[in-house]
Amino acid sequence: MNGTTTTDSTQSRSVPRIKFTYQAALGLLLIALIVLFGILQPVFFHLNVLFDTTSIVGEIGIMALAMTFIITTGGIDLSVGYILQLSAIVFGAVLKSSGSLALAIVFSLAAGTACGFINGIIISKTKIPPLVTTLATMNLFRGVSFIIAGTSSYAGFPAGFKLISTYLVFNAIPVQFFYFIFLFVFFNLVYSRGSLGRSLKGIGFNEGVLIFSGIRTKRILLLIYTLCGLMCAIAALIYLGRLSAAKTSMGNDLNLQVITAVVLGGTSIMGGVGSMVGTFIGVLIIGVLRKGFTLVNFSGNIFNFTLGLMLIVALIVFAVIEERKKTSGRILK
Amino acid sequence: MPEVVLQMEGINKTFPGVRALSNMSIDLRRGEVHAVCGENGAGKSTLMKLITGVYQPDSGEIRLNGQPLKVHNPNDAYAKGIAIIFQETSLFPDLTILENIFMGHELRRPLAGIVRFLSFLDYPAMRKKAGEIFGRLGMEIDLDARVSQLSVASRQMVEIAKALSFDSSILILDEPTAALTSREVDTLFETIKKLRTHGVSMLYISHRLDEIFQIADRVTVIRDGEHVQTGDVSRVTRDQLVAWMVGRTLDNLYPKEDIEIGEVVFEARNMRQEGVINGVSLTLRRGEILGISGLAGAGRTELALLLCGLARPDSGEILVDGTRVAIRNYQDAMERGICYISEDRQKYGLVVPMTISENITMPLLARLSGFLGIINSSKEREISATYIDNLAIKTPGADFVVNNLSGGNQQKVSVAKALATEPRILILDEPTRGVDVGAKSEIHRIISSLARAGKSIIMISSDLPEIMGMSDRVMVMKNGARQGELPRSALSQEKILHMAL
Amino acid sequence: MAKKRVTSREFMLGALVLAFIVFLSLTTGFGSTSGIFSMMLDVSPTIVGAIAMSLIIFTGNIDISAGTIMGFVGFVAAVFAKAGYPFYVFVSAGVLTGMLLAGLNGWISVTFKVPSIVVTLAMNMVHIGFYVTFLPNAGWVLNLSDSFTFLGQGRFFGIVPFIFVIAIAVAALCIWIVKYTKFGKALYAVGGNRQAAIYAGISPDRTVLTVYLVEGLLLGIAGILKATTANRLMPSVFQGREMIFIAAAVVGGVNIMGGSGKVLGAVFGAVLVYLLSITMIYLGFQDYFQFALQGIIILIAVFITVTDFAPLRKRLKKAFAPKKAT
Repeated sequence: MNGTTTTDSTQSRSVPRIKFTYQAALGLLLIALIVLFGILQPVFFHLNVLFDTTSIVGEIGIMALAMTFIITTGGIDLSVGYILQLSAIVFGAVLKSSGSLALAIVFSLAAGTACGFINGIIISKTKIPPLVTTLATMNLFRGVSFIIAGTSSYAGFPAGFKLISTYLVFNAIPVQFFYFIFLFVFFNLVYSRGSLGRSLKGIGFNEGVLIFSGIRTKRILLLIYTLCGLMCAIAALIYLGRLSAAKTSMGNDLNLQVITAVVLGGTSIMGGVGSMVGTFIGVLIIGVLRKGFTLVNFSGNIFNFTLGLMLIVALIVFAVIEERKKTSGRILK
Repeated sequence: MPEVVLQMEGINKTFPGVRALSNMSIDLRRGEVHAVCGENGAGKSTLMKLITGVYQPDSGEIRLNGQPLKVHNPNDAYAKGIAIIFQETSLFPDLTILENIFMGHELRRPLAGIVRFLSFLDYPAMRKKAGEIFGRLGMEIDLDARVSQLSVASRQMVEIAKALSFDSSILILDEPTAALTSREVDTLFETIKKLRTHGVSMLYISHRLDEIFQIADRVTVIRDGEHVQTGDVSRVTRDQLVAWMVGRTLDNLYPKEDIEIGEVVFEARNMRQEGVINGVSLTLRRGEILGISGLAGAGRTELALLLCGLARPDSGEILVDGTRVAIRNYQDAMERGICYISEDRQKYGLVVPMTISENITMPLLARLSGFLGIINSSKEREISATYIDNLAIKTPGADFVVNNLSGGNQQKVSVAKALATEPRILILDEPTRGVDVGAKSEIHRIISSLARAGKSIIMISSDLPEIMGMSDRVMVMKNGARQGELPRSALSQEKILHMAL
Repeated sequence: MAKKRVTSREFMLGALVLAFIVFLSLTTGFGSTSGIFSMMLDVSPTIVGAIAMSLIIFTGNIDISAGTIMGFVGFVAAVFAKAGYPFYVFVSAGVLTGMLLAGLNGWISVTFKVPSIVVTLAMNMVHIGFYVTFLPNAGWVLNLSDSFTFLGQGRFFGIVPFIFVIAIAVAALCIWIVKYTKFGKALYAVGGNRQAAIYAGISPDRTVLTVYLVEGLLLGIAGILKATTANRLMPSVFQGREMIFIAAAVVGGVNIMGGSGKVLGAVFGAVLVYLLSITMIYLGFQDYFQFALQGIIILIAVFITVTDFAPLRKRLKKAFAPKKAT
């Protein structure tokens, strides 16, 4: 139903198959990357190193799942990195002042959800487009996180807390990977076979017709942005567990990673077309890249650079495919 | 001997499946207002688009001042002195009137000294010229006002001024009075008269006979893409015009059956929308097909939008089964069993890149989904298969993307989508426009069977034979008001047109 | 009713700026020569950057890599200066760098029909990654040569900084260009009603490509202006600067959706945003409040531009209208 490209005249019946083909190609790319890094640094093939790649996908992945919803509607959320940052700071601040882990978790989740809600309200109730909205709120959330934290950072989290991110299942696989898979299953189900998923795609194509069909699009938009905020907060907790510190510099790079994962996975930036499976693989690719780069001693900045390049190339490629589709003309009369 | 400025001879234009213009000829004399008249769909628009370069003729010749003319695009037309005043304005709302008039062809002055080869915009010259233009039109206007602040009538004036800024000698006005109040129409006519004295030749497309008799020198009637007659307005009567516009035999058979018509299921009382709808009332019975006729701009679609909650009336009541109901939005209407099927599929009907199945089941998503909102795909398949079958939608499967269907089949999907909500009252707006002949009769068959099944239908149509063939009653609208009603037995094209014009 | 040539909005902004300055002078040490002087120094690059951004926004596009481009420009110019090249060479190098980078953004957006937001988002990361990875010393340039910094130190009459004069000159030039050339009109046309622009014979693609080049040029100037006042440079100093430009533009009345706004407004907007942040500092807020402030400013300014207040106005009129006698 949401094919990205089609070249033969046995059209739409093959559309699901085409979609599968793109994601399959993406999967092949993943494998190719693993092989490549393995050749460069044979230690890469060790199972625990391999599994370690999934350690960072916890944060990115969970945010990317929610971001897929948003981009499918033709929108975008540039503030995700800073929602995470704000939630993390809130966690640190509350923990420091109250000593209660539970309270810190609750407040942190609430903060993230509130941020998402702010985005959602503005986007669904006013005519300000998601781009401008999140461009502005990104600064807002960043500023608030600074206001709360000052220039300090928080550290010294209780040992038990670290476990939520560092526990190794079967002594090998980071537990975050399971969080990711767990959430992925739900998100994918709703996205590909749920009425929500279909509505999202519809909004991305033509919101007007959906309103006309009785679907409450504004409510849906409010929901997905709020959900995104919540996901960022959850991701923040996982991130904190891994890093054991909350700093005011966390937000910067995350945006790029999340958006690249989604776009790479085949979700169109114009909306309407998308794949949660693609996002899943995209996130894994980013994880592998990150780990691989570290192993071959490439800095974090080369990583960002590569990611930026990948995003641009992916956008260009998809845009070209869209153009070709438009000019290929009708097949059935 | 009056000078002919523009001449079209033997023009043919065909679109896939439709023959728009057939051996069309028309000529325009200097300084005349030449009205072009015909029903909706007769070919007036296509003719104008040929003159202004939006389309190219398949065969035939156009001559400007005696020389053969080839216009490649609207810009080219401007350059050659031909301008068209569209209905949808192509103005820039945030810019001033002056900026809008000269956009793209601003007057310039060279810089001084060494940079003489560079030029900058010459505002004084532009203001002067604009002042002259508006002076010629007899208007005083603030050139620095933003277009977004202007009324539709004023915007039209700006469009006219824009056309004149190209020193156009030929002006085409396409239904210019559609959105104007009568006072504004008078102003427009004053303007037209002034233009005439300045030697501007005008083609005035309209179906409003009163206006034609008021302002035009000659009139040409087009019907079904062919030239019927051209005559001096002073020597033609209203009846003659109507006869020329109609003059065809009803040879299409419409599958209308005689059904027993039941009680009143739907009633609208005194629907009013400021400036648009003027106190319209109607009743609809079970199994009945009520046709609504009238010319473009008479308010038929606007009325329909009021009846189904897509627009809010300033006053008026809607009754379903005798009880007054509040319809504040389309959802309310759907819940009451009212649905609206528009000809503008892109806007109202279908999400084109999605499949037939997804489109048909869209209004039913809530009903089709269970836990977590997962759609029951077997139920979905069942529903789409049923409708594809019933409506004979030509497709290899329900998972075909709607974009690849023909116009007729797309319309059927649109109908299926509306039917899926199991409505009792259907409001169809131009159900067969843009649909090929084969699909047309199928859609008519479907409509008849719906009526037979006890549904009540309001059908808006500009296709006279269609409306006469399908309706039990025909209500004719004009200028936002109900002009009259004709029962099936008393229907004739002349009567309908007389009321409509 | 004929409106003034300088519309009421710009008037209001100018008045606000004046009011601010007066307020600050009276309540803090701002009014002193050094205060005004440092304002002129600080605000000059922002003025040029805000103008650059508003030109882009007129066409309905955006560039969130502007800050990074500025950084690159400063870096390239400083390197050339250090290598001993004369003034006009290193300035040209910087400006060309700006045009190249911004032009690339525009080219990708136009050729592949990708929305400028995503293009510039990605390119921003590409640029940052590039200089940190491939440039020596991760990009730091220390001990800038004198020929470079003299520009920053120079003043007219000992009071007005050189760079301020340049910024004002650039602003005046841009205001003139936008108003008195076909290109300026084309910017508004493309952003206001793309289809109508095509009918009017304007090529949206060419216009957008050109405006990105112009933006690059202006960012080049802004980058050099900023760099000459520093004593060491790194491309990332300006990361995030584009937010200030955007805030300045929207405060100045530029419609974020494109099609309207005035360059003069952006200039006042830049000064106003600067004054607002100064005020906050004097009021005791730390400078990271800047981010929150910018965010809120953008939201409010855009909300005002985007919302249709007509129905509200009508209702207010009705509420306050004298009741008719029945």
